[in-house]
Amino acid sequence: MSIMKSVNDFLARLSGKLKGGGEIAIEKQKKKGKHTARERIEDLLLDHGSFLETDLFVEHSVKNFGMDRKELAGDGVITGFGKVSNRSVAVFAQDFTVAGGSLGKAHAKKITKVMDAAGEAHIPLIGINDSGGARIQEGVESLCGYGEIFYRNTRMSGIIPQISVILGPCAGGAVYSPALTDFVFVVNKISNMFITGPQVIKTVLGEEVTQEELGGAATQTSVTGNAHFYAESEAEAFSTLKKLLSFLPASSNEKPPVYRAVPPVNPLGDDVIPDDRKEAYCVKDLIRGIVDASDFLEVHERWARNIVVGFARLDGKSIGIIANQPRVLAGVLDVNASDKAARFIRFCDSFNIPLLTMVDTPGYLPGTDQEHAGVIRHGAKLLYAYSEATVPKMTLIMRKAYGGAYIAMCSRHLGATFVASWPSGEIAVMGPEGAANIIYRREIAEADDPDAFRQEKVNEYEEKFSNPYVAAKKGYIDIIIKSSMTRDTFIKALSVADSFEIGHKHGNIPL
Amino acid sequence: MESKFNKLNIDGTEYLTEIPEGSLKAFKGMPDLSEVRAFIPGSIVDILASEGDTVKPGDVLLLLEAMKMHNEICPGISGIVSKIHVSKGDTVKKDQLLMEISRF
Repeated sequence: MSIMKSVNDFLARLSGKLKGGGEIAIEKQKKKGKHTARERIEDLLLDHGSFLETDLFVEHSVKNFGMDRKELAGDGVITGFGKVSNRSVAVFAQDFTVAGGSLGKAHAKKITKVMDAAGEAHIPLIGINDSGGARIQEGVESLCGYGEIFYRNTRMSGIIPQISVILGPCAGGAVYSPALTDFVFVVNKISNMFITGPQVIKTVLGEEVTQEELGGAATQTSVTGNAHFYAESEAEAFSTLKKLLSFLPASSNEKPPVYRAVPPVNPLGDDVIPDDRKEAYCVKDLIRGIVDASDFLEVHERWARNIVVGFARLDGKSIGIIANQPRVLAGVLDVNASDKAARFIRFCDSFNIPLLTMVDTPGYLPGTDQEHAGVIRHGAKLLYAYSEATVPKMTLIMRKAYGGAYIAMCSRHLGATFVASWPSGEIAVMGPEGAANIIYRREIAEADDPDAFRQEKVNEYEEKFSNPYVAAKKGYIDIIIKSSMTRDTFIKALSVADSFEIGHKHGNIPL
Repeated sequence: MESKFNKLNIDGTEYLTEIPEGSLKAFKGMPDLSEVRAFIPGSIVDILASEGDTVKPGDVLLLLEAMKMHNEICPGISGIVSKIHVSKGDTVKKDQLLMEISRF
């Protein structure tokens, strides 16, 4: 064959492969409001023209069930490398137009190959899931494929950031690769995740449930907490993903990139929370008053809303924020809030992101439901995560810091590197009402005017303990500051801790 | 996602806050082990115990077929079979009462 002939032959083969599952399948994909796998990678995720594709010519070698006559472009998955904001990432995208994106041995091998390369190169891995599930014609080989992906997800956990985007069905065993990764994105009316689908549930349990109710984007972000980010469109999901990457290092061997420091749009004044400790406010307003450009990327925005976690920058440096949310359930700790915060803390610790904990919590949520759901076991994860973390751990006590929840929210006793309190801070075993009721139970009952006597004792306890000075006297709090000084104070504290040790510490087990 | 503020009592203090649906569930009581219930929907393949029999945990009371499997249904406590609510061939729903055991 002459050179030109071989080039033309190559171009013909290439254009066949690039068509994926062909025009009819692509049209079907579009009708569902979905982009093709190639558009997702080249147009929505990567910097223009940066995609370096690998394994386009990989083929399956299955002979059963007429598979030998089927040529599947790229075996239903597109893999390779590229740049996001000029930083390298590895990527795979399952192609639903090719045999429903079903996962067979060759398909899985392409994925594990790009995963291994990401691990070697110490760069983030982004997986785009859109697959009908295991390729049944391949039997145990497809199960082997899933297993080998799970193994790598786990072994690389805490070494490179792993992000999953669910853009279609993701059912049965397929759900577990995303579940093992650090962050999961879902899109309304496009994403579906479940172990057993509505049909099986109907047969076995007689329950009628739609795909959307069972495992759609709203369910996975607000009911189960399986997914971290909700988007209305694929484009929105990728735009949030790129923003997320901007806060992260390429691997545990690096610190996150540093940006130019920008002051918040509305800096905090000195009167930022209600006087009455019983009154709620939205802690996100305070976060935005402290961080660079008032820019806060919330993780798990719709789930366990009584605690707020997410990324921001302080003086240009990435930080992970964990804050009680008085607006929801008074900011109590409970089973889900503990899981949510603990996993976030462990992610940040894995990837050298300092923590800022903002405390205003009355304690743990009481109730049989919580106790029986294992609030002891779940709550322990939060203590473990904070105690284990070796990144700088900065804490701000804004108002209530009561009892076990005070200890759990990154107190000095769990190794906080810097603890500040506003003058409104109250560090005590419990609120003054509860304390007076317990300490003076008998005296209140025997008093001529029990209500007046109780109020007197409440005031007494409040005076004694509802302040930051008792803890400051013992050195448990390093500094007491007006709220307007918060940003400056934590910028200084972060700068002191700047040269903390980095490197691989632990994986980020799903909690 | 907006909802009304309600009172939430923590250690004697009533906080005004949003209480998401389902976050405060009432206690339904411990399961009653004297009742033998179907843990999965299915059909009764065989009944091995009779009313008046003395039974203990580990004894097989009946066979419940579900998802193509025969499930051996055993009592949670020792006692006497006081009432059988199903017959061979019956289709049962999840949590349906199958038998009652009275403690000694």
